[in-house]
Amino acid sequence: MLRGAQLAVAQINAQGGVRGRPLKLRIADDSGSEDQAVRVAEQLYADPALVAVVGHLSSDASRAAAEVYGSGPSPLVTISPSASSPELSGLNPYFFRVCPSASTHGPRLARFAREVLVARRAGIIYTNNDYGRGLRRAFAGEFTRLGGVVVEADPEVAATPSLEPYLSRMRRAGVDVLMLASERPGAELALREMSKLGIRWSVLGGDALAGIEAAGAIAEGIHLSSAYLPGRRDSRNATFVADYARAYRGQRPDHRGAGAYDVVLLLARAVDEAGPERRAIRDYLAQVGRGKAPLEGVTGTIEFDANGDIPAKPVVIGVVRGGRFVSERER
Amino acid sequence: MGPLFETIRSRLLVGLAVLMAGLLGTVALGAATLRLMQQAVATELAALQASSEVGSGLVTSVFEEIRAAQQYLTAPGAEAWAQFDAAAEHTVQYERRLEALGDLTVEDRLTVNRLKQLHATIEVEYAIARALKDLGRDREAVARTVAVRPQADELTRLARSLSSHQALKASQAADRLAATSQRRERTMWFILSMIAAGAVLLSRWTLQAVQEPLERLVTAAERFGSGDLRPVTTGKMPREFRVLADAMQQMGDRLRQIVAAVIGESDRIAGSAGDLSAASVKMAAASSDVASAMVEISGGANHQRGALAAMGTDLEDLGRVVAEMAEAAERVAQLGEEIRTVADRHRDDVATAGNTLLDVREVVQTTSRQIQQLAQLSTAIDDFVDLIKRISSQTNLLALNAAIEAARAGEHGRGFAVVAEEVRQLADESARAAEEVTRTTALVREQMEEVTATMAAGQAKVRGIETVAEGAARALGEIGAAIEQVEQAATRVRFAAQAQRETGDRLQHQAGEVGHRATAHAASAQQVTAAAREQGASIEEMAGAAAALLEAAEKLRGLVRGFRV
Repeated sequence: MLRGAQLAVAQINAQGGVRGRPLKLRIADDSGSEDQAVRVAEQLYADPALVAVVGHLSSDASRAAAEVYGSGPSPLVTISPSASSPELSGLNPYFFRVCPSASTHGPRLARFAREVLVARRAGIIYTNNDYGRGLRRAFAGEFTRLGGVVVEADPEVAATPSLEPYLSRMRRAGVDVLMLASERPGAELALREMSKLGIRWSVLGGDALAGIEAAGAIAEGIHLSSAYLPGRRDSRNATFVADYARAYRGQRPDHRGAGAYDVVLLLARAVDEAGPERRAIRDYLAQVGRGKAPLEGVTGTIEFDANGDIPAKPVVIGVVRGGRFVSERER
Repeated sequence: MGPLFETIRSRLLVGLAVLMAGLLGTVALGAATLRLMQQAVATELAALQASSEVGSGLVTSVFEEIRAAQQYLTAPGAEAWAQFDAAAEHTVQYERRLEALGDLTVEDRLTVNRLKQLHATIEVEYAIARALKDLGRDREAVARTVAVRPQADELTRLARSLSSHQALKASQAADRLAATSQRRERTMWFILSMIAAGAVLLSRWTLQAVQEPLERLVTAAERFGSGDLRPVTTGKMPREFRVLADAMQQMGDRLRQIVAAVIGESDRIAGSAGDLSAASVKMAAASSDVASAMVEISGGANHQRGALAAMGTDLEDLGRVVAEMAEAAERVAQLGEEIRTVADRHRDDVATAGNTLLDVREVVQTTSRQIQQLAQLSTAIDDFVDLIKRISSQTNLLALNAAIEAARAGEHGRGFAVVAEEVRQLADESARAAEEVTRTTALVREQMEEVTATMAAGQAKVRGIETVAEGAARALGEIGAAIEQVEQAATRVRFAAQAQRETGDRLQHQAGEVGHRATAHAASAQQVTAAAREQGASIEEMAGAAAALLEAAEKLRGLVRGFRV
């Protein structure tokens, strides 16, 4: 995400900046923690030179921070590239995101499980936070609607030492597919324990698991929903992926980096057209796709609805194959 | 001072408007403060209520979760777990509300995060415990629930501390509100005291605006009252008073004009009355002179009559000679009668005029006319005197002739010569008396001319006299004609006397005629005297009126002298 944003800023400043002035990126790390997100948000909010925030990354950090940004006398706009919890929809007028929410991911995964994997019984392990609960609810609702049965849905937190009791109970009850509506630590714990228990179910994951291919063999074969795949056939994206690889020693961007790249482009356009006022930027963004032209970004078309969401953006299902996250051709 | 403050009314209106605006402002400020306070209190109370409600609700629902989970662990059942799920959902809702609470500090938000973590953990622990229970691993499940207890305790403590923190914030907010309201109250008192000061200033200002011009106007009015009518400067003042001041100025101007006119007029009247008075005094003196002159004339005439009577007796024998002369003299007597009639008519005219001249002017006119008549009469006297002179000269001649005749007669004429001598002496005496009368008359006329001249100065305005003067002129014309006839008659007498110089009858007749003439003369003189006396009375009357006029004029002058213009 940071790299995507930095790349965008570098490219914009190379072309003369915005309104004749270079963009400056102030970097802050919330470490995925809500506490840290709140602290960071307070600092950024208090900086009058700051006109908008790119972030945060996770849903719960975004939520905690957005509560800070959206209050007080001089609210600050924040656009998350990746916070996908449905609970964040319309959180406040200063919160936007360029990724589809779990309301898009969950049903897409449920349809994939029922129609492609032809699973009937699903077990769900979810992180007990906004993201996990939101994705679980979206998936379970669609899966049930499509005739499947959710055998059980079990919460976890980062501190949970073992998920084995859940897995054992699922094995006893019998499931065809395991939906990991978790973040990476919980998902990796579950995969490790599944491997230990010798369980081999089809495993699905949400956008929070992007990058799980780095976990090695246990992640092989997991299907993930994503709003962005680096292999997206699109000249703009191809240029971006090439630029990214050139800038970061052959690495590939994920949906967060691409999202951050788009967010920076969008903010640059907003400042260029509406001026560097926090309020003016917010008002401009609210009209993108509804009066103002949508942004054709590397992640697709960005146009906001009244809740600051981008409902039009589709998600695709990819698979971890050979240590890489690749597009899954639907059968 | 702008046009806005030209009138007391506008001053009062503006002042009261300002005061009202101030009061309204104060009221508005007070009302706004009250409303603000109410709103703030309501907001704070609502926030406090919400936070305490959310805090206790959170704790309650967590406990409900724990209770449902424990119940499940004791006696597993779908119902118990459904209660757990419902409570968990409630807890999440409370967490949301907690996050959405207004004015959370960073510390508060961190506490909320910790609460959420604790709750998530507790929920996960119980979910795992439930899984273990489902798997029949009861001991592990119990261990899980025991392990979760400190976290439940921490959650309770945090929720309570969050609530109490919110309560503290509410009390701080209340303190802030109190401070704000105190500030507003001070501001209000300040504004009120400013308004009070403004009201006092306005009152004093208005009072001054009324009092000062009023005092100036009263001073001006007092000056007018004390007779000082000189223009007053009233200075700048409100329009209401300026109207009054202008009216007073106009009144002063008018009074000044009137008094000035009255003073001028009274001076003129006093001057005229003085002149008149002086003229009357002179006229009185002149008419007195006339009267005394006439008395002398009268006396002379009487004397002459006596002499003529004596001569008449002596000249009875000369009757035939004098007969024609007597006839002529008869004619003269007739003429004299005519003259007397004319004079009577004149006197009537004078009397008529005298009656009409009731006021000073008429008296003056009458006086003037009478003086003119006197002048005419004196002319008549002159004429008479001339006649007498001529008669006496004729008589003298006759006497001389008689003496010559007497000498020629010799011894027989000696007695007649003595008589002729006597007649001549009488004629001489008569001529001397006539001379005397002429002198006196001249003197009278001179004085009368002087009087007339003096009168003329004082009676430039008198015009009505002309008719009377014309009447008098006509009468005098008649007198002139009569006198002419007298002269013709006298001429005839002279011729007759020359033709019949020897006839003493004529002398006798003539003497008789002379006697008659002298009688007439005396009567005329008496008439003149009476007229002069009457005139004198008129003049006195006039003098009295003039004096009254003078007195009135002086009084008037004294009155207007009090005014200073």
